[in-house]
Amino acid sequence: MTVSENIQIAAERSPALVRRISPKTVLYAALSTLVVVFCIVPFILVIVISFGRKVDGAGWVWDLTFDNYQRFFVGVLWPDEVTFLYLQQLGNSFYFAVIASVLAVLTALPFTLLLTRLKRSAQAIWLVFILASLSMSEVFIVMGWDILLSNNSGLPKLFQVTGFTQWLKDVGWFQTLRDIGLANPRNVKFKPSGFATILTMSYLVWPYAVILLYPAFSRLDPSLAEAARTMGANRWTVIRTVTLPAIRLPLMGTTLLLFVFLLGSYVSVSVFATPDKQTTAVAIYSNIRGSNLDAPFGSAQAVILLISASVCLCFGHLLNSKAEAR
Amino acid sequence: MPDLILSGVSKSFGSTRAVETTDLTFAEGQLTALLGPSGCGKTTLLRMLAGLENPTRGTIRLGHEDITDLPAHKRKFGMVFQSFALFPHYTVRENVAYSLIIGGTAKPEALEKAQTLLDTVQLSSFGDRRIGELSGGQRQRVAIARALAQEPKVFLLDEPMSALDAKLREEMQVELRLLQQRLGITTIVVTHDQREAMTMADTIVVMSNGRVEQVAPPKQIYHRPANSFVADFIGKANFFDGVYSDGSVQIGKLALDISANFAAGSPVRLAIRPESICLVTEPGQNCIDAEISFVRDLGPVKEYHLRSDIGPMIAEHAGTDGMDLMAGEKTLVHLPADTLRVYPQTAA
Amino acid sequence: MRAGGTIFMSLAALLLAMPIVVVCAAALNGGRSMFFPPRDPTLARFGEFFVSEPVWTNALTNSIIVATGAATLAVLIAWPVAYLLWSTGSKLSKALAGVGSLPFAVPPIVIGVGLGFFWSFTWGLGHLWSGVISHAVLLMALPLVTISIGLQSIDRSHLDAAATMGATEQVAFRTVVLPQTVPYTISGFFFVLVLSFNEFIVIFFVSASAYSTVTLQIFNSLRNGYTPTMAVAAITFLTVSILVFAAVARWGDLPRLMGADQTRK
Repeated sequence: MTVSENIQIAAERSPALVRRISPKTVLYAALSTLVVVFCIVPFILVIVISFGRKVDGAGWVWDLTFDNYQRFFVGVLWPDEVTFLYLQQLGNSFYFAVIASVLAVLTALPFTLLLTRLKRSAQAIWLVFILASLSMSEVFIVMGWDILLSNNSGLPKLFQVTGFTQWLKDVGWFQTLRDIGLANPRNVKFKPSGFATILTMSYLVWPYAVILLYPAFSRLDPSLAEAARTMGANRWTVIRTVTLPAIRLPLMGTTLLLFVFLLGSYVSVSVFATPDKQTTAVAIYSNIRGSNLDAPFGSAQAVILLISASVCLCFGHLLNSKAEAR
Repeated sequence: MPDLILSGVSKSFGSTRAVETTDLTFAEGQLTALLGPSGCGKTTLLRMLAGLENPTRGTIRLGHEDITDLPAHKRKFGMVFQSFALFPHYTVRENVAYSLIIGGTAKPEALEKAQTLLDTVQLSSFGDRRIGELSGGQRQRVAIARALAQEPKVFLLDEPMSALDAKLREEMQVELRLLQQRLGITTIVVTHDQREAMTMADTIVVMSNGRVEQVAPPKQIYHRPANSFVADFIGKANFFDGVYSDGSVQIGKLALDISANFAAGSPVRLAIRPESICLVTEPGQNCIDAEISFVRDLGPVKEYHLRSDIGPMIAEHAGTDGMDLMAGEKTLVHLPADTLRVYPQTAA
Repeated sequence: MRAGGTIFMSLAALLLAMPIVVVCAAALNGGRSMFFPPRDPTLARFGEFFVSEPVWTNALTNSIIVATGAATLAVLIAWPVAYLLWSTGSKLSKALAGVGSLPFAVPPIVIGVGLGFFWSFTWGLGHLWSGVISHAVLLMALPLVTISIGLQSIDRSHLDAAATMGATEQVAFRTVVLPQTVPYTISGFFFVLVLSFNEFIVIFFVSASAYSTVTLQIFNSLRNGYTPTMAVAAITFLTVSILVFAAVARWGDLPRLMGADQTRK
């Protein structure tokens, strides 16, 4: 290896020399080409097409126009008329993703802590279960919740049959549910609603949250907590003063990753969200494959989603490397 | 099998110098121990011998053949690693036969040869076991058998005993030495344990900070250490700093006679082994007052921790010395002139 | 506290299992509609999914082709990248690994859109082979991680030992590196297999409705209402996932692959 490095260095110093092509160089070249073509070019295409222009009845053409971005931020009729519809959709994306990811992490946190306290063999069994649920396709999960939340079967039916609905009416909470849109005059109604959307999205990333928190938690040194306990700290104080500070960074990093993942979630939103709460991901879909057929505008939205995601990822990476450095 | 000769060999990693310029000859058929504290460069030296590191400067020769640029897989010196580096995905017998099989020997023949080697290291019935099923001592025997399978010209061992417990270690030292003598193979052992080196080696190379401090047979290393580092590192020693003048060394108000010559007024360091210091009742040459601060009775030996005007010291007597001294008592200690080693004081 | 912990974990497991159980149970419905609890239980839907309904059998075949193809391809690309990263640690190899993991790190809809454009320019849109490559690109990060973990677990002194016994770099690779990383390579393969099986959005964009996999077929049927046959698909997929991960747990070290501390048992 050292020898081939020397050859390379020598070759770089004197370009006149015929560079000996080692198998490793060929491998590097092939892999670099492959990775650039398949992992970079698609992104570049999205970015380039986002500057393209839609042609009525003929798809779109290459161009260098900022119209799509203008349309995204202030609407197509600007400056005469301003609309924030698309910004609002991005806002919805953020709204769903933030709440769902925070919810998932907060509930996965105690679970993972408990998981890492188990025996290694028991952990393996739990991990199989969690990984199996993690890999379940979004379409299956949406299907499952859809059945569970649907009005004719599932939970609303169960509530009615067991008399839970009646009880809710009796204690007066039913009216509250109606006020926030989770009930019709006769029974509880869970979809479409923000509640169902966030529940499904949270459910979708919950196994990811466990898997992402797992390494950091399983590396926690239990003797730290034990030391704190010998110094008179109770369980809650231990968690507050020892455990949480130690896992603060992985916790934030995980939330960010889940958030980025959820920014692009499509199936749950399209099935469960109310029409006024559609997100950028749904808009991208309908522009590129759906009824609108406006690839450039869809690309522009994808670019904005990508930028939002990258900013979050960079931030997360920063947090991670900070955590590693400690 | 010819001698293994290092001339002008040094090794740097970046700007740090791991091994200073070194000349050494490892005599044919002998066992040499490279002894020194961790980080002294002994393992780097061994890895250069094996061909796993390239020396920055200098040449390595095996007899007349220059092997400096010969890579490890062509040198084929058998080597036993500190962790033993046994392959977990092969059986014991396959591990031992590894070098033969990849060298082109037919598999049945190689496995047969491996079995013979396993017989030699008394693991005849372990051939089909997995590495994970073996104890530390058994692993070490497998590692030795594996390294010897290719009938190497030179046999290298990197801290071979460090993974074993204390009792097993002493047994294996004797066993390894007997095996080496039977095979008559040039062997180099890296160790930080002086007892290990003294047990096994024909010659000990003491190293520190990448430098060779002394090359000598074990006895000489112990009784005639070349400098105060060796005296301190090998066995236990008491040190006193003083100034030489006219056959004696002035330490504070006291003077001790010595049997060496130095320039008058030069600062020197005295070293004396604990077993050379005697507690006596009659005053005489090199006798000084001392007070016992602690007595450590270890059974076969007794250690007296002493305070004196030249500084603290430890004296070691046979456990049956018949003295019944206790901490706090005053006594006379005798530092015989011929057992006091004198070294010029180093800048450090 | 101990009892509370067990209760919490059980509750979490229950909630996690609930929608899956519901979907699975719905597969037993005798009629054409989904009911829970199932009415008129029958196993006829399994026959429809695996044998008699071409829509589903075709989709299943496509899913299997895409998943196995993508898993093979992803492992084949990830291996040299992980090996270069491990053996040289050079800047270029780090960059390769980083860029290779990019598609997995961004919102899937973005890489889906990008690959859709990419294939429309390279005559791949709507072909099964482009779906295979797309999934390999998307999921390459997984074998990259598992193989890297496997390579890191190799004691470097094993390579030195092989060298002192006469092994060249190639021989050491074949006799030391490869056998010790096999479980990790297989794990990576299966992770891609399972995730590709279940992936929806990327395959949606690159298939361009020319063919459908099981997840696509289910999504297409979402609007027309569910049929119990879809639930059979869910059961099949779940079974495959559990078998795969159980196998990884049985023959590999799943906690270690997931990043658990090595020293604790």
